[in-house]
Amino acid sequence: MAKIKIDKSLYERVRKTAERAGYSSADEFVTHLIEKAVADVEGAASDEEVEKQLRGLGYIE
Amino acid sequence: MTTDVTTIVSGLPRSGTSLMMQMIHSGGLPALTDEMRAGDEDNPRGYFELEAVKKIRTDTSWLDDTPGRVVKMVHLLLYDLPGARSYRVVFMTRDLGEVVRSQGVMLQRRGTTGAALTPGQLVKAYESQLAKIRQWLDEQRNFEVHYTSYNDLMADPPTVAAAVNAFLGGGLDVDAMLRNVDPKLYRQRQALST
Repeated sequence: MAKIKIDKSLYERVRKTAERAGYSSADEFVTHLIEKAVADVEGAASDEEVEKQLRGLGYIE
Repeated sequence: MTTDVTTIVSGLPRSGTSLMMQMIHSGGLPALTDEMRAGDEDNPRGYFELEAVKKIRTDTSWLDDTPGRVVKMVHLLLYDLPGARSYRVVFMTRDLGEVVRSQGVMLQRRGTTGAALTPGQLVKAYESQLAKIRQWLDEQRNFEVHYTSYNDLMADPPTVAAAVNAFLGGGLDVDAMLRNVDPKLYRQRQALST
């Protein structure tokens, strides 16, 4: 399992928030957040590519 | 046939939208089209498009001409339709592998470039967009939507045409609609392995 370094005070906030939100650990909470953020960025990138495709096909300007 | 509602045929490019436009037009609900995009090898019987639709983000005046007509619009532009109007949408679906293959052939013929994605990635991107737009359409009170599969249409034209006619109020000539279905034009049958 890879590790990522974050500021200690941020980690404390993450740990407390994860506990309040019902996550079993800070790791589980952070993994969920990162997965969501990555999916959002990937989705935005693929939406741009779809627009290029539709433009190439002549369906949008 | 007249109605205050704007009737739209939508979906991904190469999902059978032109064929559905042709069917509805022949059935008795005239297509709103400028005929600027003439038929070609990809759509021998024409595209049934209206160029003004592409400018919907800056000009929606053409919508005034839509009652009692049917107009074609690619899926992404549905989000730009003004909320004050009512719409009924025949939304075409098709095996996405076939869609992407057919789009690839069309891009080659046009000599244009499309997405910088592999066919498999493009299928996934379309899956995601279609899921989003279905959810969005479900949430819109001013939209009635009828999803129609191009693959089903090719397999059983009478049943699909009858269902579209029922959705549009039952006043269309189904026999005339069916005369447009030509299995010879169903050319990209093999799905991609993604």
